[in-house]
Amino acid sequence: MASIDLRNVCLDYPLYGSYDFSIKRRLLGGVIGKADEARAVRAIDNVSMHASAGARIGLAGPNGSGKSTLLRLIAGVYPATSGRIDITGNVMPLLGLAAGANLDFVAVDNIRLLLRIGGRRPTPAVVDEIWSFTDLDESMRRLPLRMFSSGMLMRVLFATATAFPADIVLLDEWLSVVDEKFAAKAEQRLLKLVSASAIVIIASHDQALLRRICTSVVHLDRGRIVSTVPAEEHSAHRMGLKNSSHEDIGCQRISR
Amino acid sequence: MSSSEESGRRLSVLHIFKVYYPDLFGGTLSVIRDICAGLKDSFVSSVLVCSSSGGERHVTVDDVAIERVRSLGDMLSLPVAPTYPLWLWRRIARHDLLAFHAPFPLADLVFALGFGRNKPLVVHWHADIVSHASWRRYVEPLMRRTLRRADAIIVSDAALASRTPLLLEFSEKCHVVPFGIDVAKYDTPAAPAVDAPERGRLVLACGRLVPYKGFDVLVRAAAGRHFEVWIVGEGREREHLEQLIRHFGVEERVRLLGSVSDAELARLMRAADVFVMPSVTNAETFGLVQLEAMAASRPVINTSLDTGVPYIARDGIEAITVPPGDHEKLADAIETLLGDAELRQRLGQAARHRATTTYSTEVFRAGIEKVYRHAVAERAASASSRAARSATGGLLGTVQIAAALAWSDVRHRYVRSLLGPFWMSLQMAIMVVVLGSVIGHLSNSSAVSYLPILAVSLTAWNFLSGVVIDATTALQTSASLIKDRALPPVIFLLQCFFRQALFALHNACVPLVLWLIFMPVNVADAVAALPGLALFTASTLGLGLILGAMATRFHDLKPIIESTLTLAFLASPIIWPSDMINRASTVIRLNPLTHLFAVWREPLTAGHVSTASVVYVLVCVAVLALASAVTIVQLRKAAFWV
Repeated sequence: MASIDLRNVCLDYPLYGSYDFSIKRRLLGGVIGKADEARAVRAIDNVSMHASAGARIGLAGPNGSGKSTLLRLIAGVYPATSGRIDITGNVMPLLGLAAGANLDFVAVDNIRLLLRIGGRRPTPAVVDEIWSFTDLDESMRRLPLRMFSSGMLMRVLFATATAFPADIVLLDEWLSVVDEKFAAKAEQRLLKLVSASAIVIIASHDQALLRRICTSVVHLDRGRIVSTVPAEEHSAHRMGLKNSSHEDIGCQRISR
Repeated sequence: MSSSEESGRRLSVLHIFKVYYPDLFGGTLSVIRDICAGLKDSFVSSVLVCSSSGGERHVTVDDVAIERVRSLGDMLSLPVAPTYPLWLWRRIARHDLLAFHAPFPLADLVFALGFGRNKPLVVHWHADIVSHASWRRYVEPLMRRTLRRADAIIVSDAALASRTPLLLEFSEKCHVVPFGIDVAKYDTPAAPAVDAPERGRLVLACGRLVPYKGFDVLVRAAAGRHFEVWIVGEGREREHLEQLIRHFGVEERVRLLGSVSDAELARLMRAADVFVMPSVTNAETFGLVQLEAMAASRPVINTSLDTGVPYIARDGIEAITVPPGDHEKLADAIETLLGDAELRQRLGQAARHRATTTYSTEVFRAGIEKVYRHAVAERAASASSRAARSATGGLLGTVQIAAALAWSDVRHRYVRSLLGPFWMSLQMAIMVVVLGSVIGHLSNSSAVSYLPILAVSLTAWNFLSGVVIDATTALQTSASLIKDRALPPVIFLLQCFFRQALFALHNACVPLVLWLIFMPVNVADAVAALPGLALFTASTLGLGLILGAMATRFHDLKPIIESTLTLAFLASPIIWPSDMINRASTVIRLNPLTHLFAVWREPLTAGHVSTASVVYVLVCVAVLALASAVTIVQLRKAAFWV
């Protein structure tokens, strides 16, 4: 079963790009006496959290509070500087939709490539399903993405990214699609994805959204957990529907 | 994948162990047999084992299909069956569930290599490796990998799970399913066994005659006392035991009965006054035979091992427990029981009660079935939710994604190009012709015969420099995939390598055509060049990984690498014909590129390659391999660099 366990995790983000590490500075640093400039920023500071199957965790906090960094830490992008991270289950990070898309390739090739990147085999059936979800004309399949409007592009990328459920889904901001007609459909699909996943972590500024979706909301500030607030009663009721459907899946697994 | 579809047919389970009936009898085997028989309504069982008897490959025992892989004999208590892993790998695909009866390192090997990853695996942990403890540490990593990959681990007693260090690491997967015993078999009052001594004297023991069973301790215990000992079983210790019996002069009272039938054993159990299980090592994890004695209402004497043994028949309740290997204490315990009919009766009744209630066959069957079904269902659920997903972790997944990305690059290379797939090859052809004619004027050698080797050298050089230059920017251009989709950075360095390799294959048509036109075709020379070419390719991969990572970390390296490559191209014997090169010059001799090209080019031109070049290149490859390993570890931090 999927679970996430962080124990006293810290992350020091090294500051490259400044001249701190150059040989010149190293040789002269001692002479000039400016050696103790900070070389790293503590992006995550002693964070412990535990999530087991069924958890919907919201991350809230101002810009630069470490929401995205924490998601990337869970996704395995950054190695923790100290502390322990134990994750069971496969993690699907949806931190940016456009990653990996090539505007020069035609739409279906992009879909296939993005599925491959996600470790899935792009069977024709899967590609057809994704395409039919986009509601775009069949003939546009063979057009390069460059010709798509930004809204149409979003549809393709969104449909591809959300085609498969995973044990653990990490979302940086609720993936909203601007197109009004499509927005409702996209929301449905995303909710379905959320309900099919064992654990979902969403980083967002939208407090109302977090209360609506999540079972608990973690507030971050400068890399530390300020507070962990369990979801309110009414929102628990709303999630109750989804939770129970998830538990149904769990029961089936055991009873079969 | 609907549940109705699954319940419609019996699931097939493959039992994996080292040996089975009819080659051997014993506790573990009877457990496997009981599982096969108990689950026959819901599972079709097959057994894959080894056999050194040389009998038929496929046999049927109690309606269960047994496949026996040829073994050359036993070494370190293990069958030497070199083809077993191969057969296991081939059989895995046919079954819905794998039931692995540990320990059996030969099968661990198959699981450790990742075969059968997509099938649910249940490990029946019968015992740890005790008899060859010094070998254990070499096998332990394999066993750990198997357990890590297993969906469930079944142990016969909670003590086993909590006292085996290896199992403690996987305690959440461990299920305790105590063995079951059919007490009805022991119901009928036994006809007195042939020539049984009068009541109150007969001690029975039963088991394979192997060292860990501790029968030598029992023989020692009999010396100087008055009770009678019958030992049922066969094995390689027989000679030793017979010697011991003669040595103590107890031939009259200690008898080795050899193998007997199940019915006969039940009779002997009823006839005996005390049952002894003198096992001396933790290889004895449960002692199924003591459970049989309990079913026959016999008081038990067992040993205080670190396993389930003293918990099955408990000291003072169903048994007397003595320290393992202590023949004095064992003899005292036997005499205590033999001298106290009332105590025998009390322990015997308690034993029968415990066998009936705690260790019923139905509880055992239901326990195993539940674990099996759960393992299959969990796998089905995760498989359907993943739908043909391949792991992004793991070496295979990484290479697959890198290859897919590279293939996509190649396929889309000609998007918006005028000449299509041929512009690359055309460019190469033009370069060869121009360079060839210029150098032909400078050099004495004939330009025409020089062209093929120039073309192939250029192709190889383009490959090497292409990989390195590509790699310096690969991580930067894929920053979003690394940071937003959490792909391992090494994928993108491999992608460069694969992409350039495909381009090189594409370009290889130019040298190939030139070769066919201008040179005699010599297949032997071409084959001789292959090992060198492999070394060249490996070095290129290493250079790509190392320089790609370093150039991403230190941005000033990229221009340095580029200018160094230009310099290296001119300072190495890549385009220069041999007569223009002074091979004795230090620059040429020490230049690794000289040798990196020599190892595959010299077999093509001269038919042989100098040992110095081979050694130089091997050292280079070794150094690059080491540096690549360090690089791959450091690449964990690559997300900070991009």
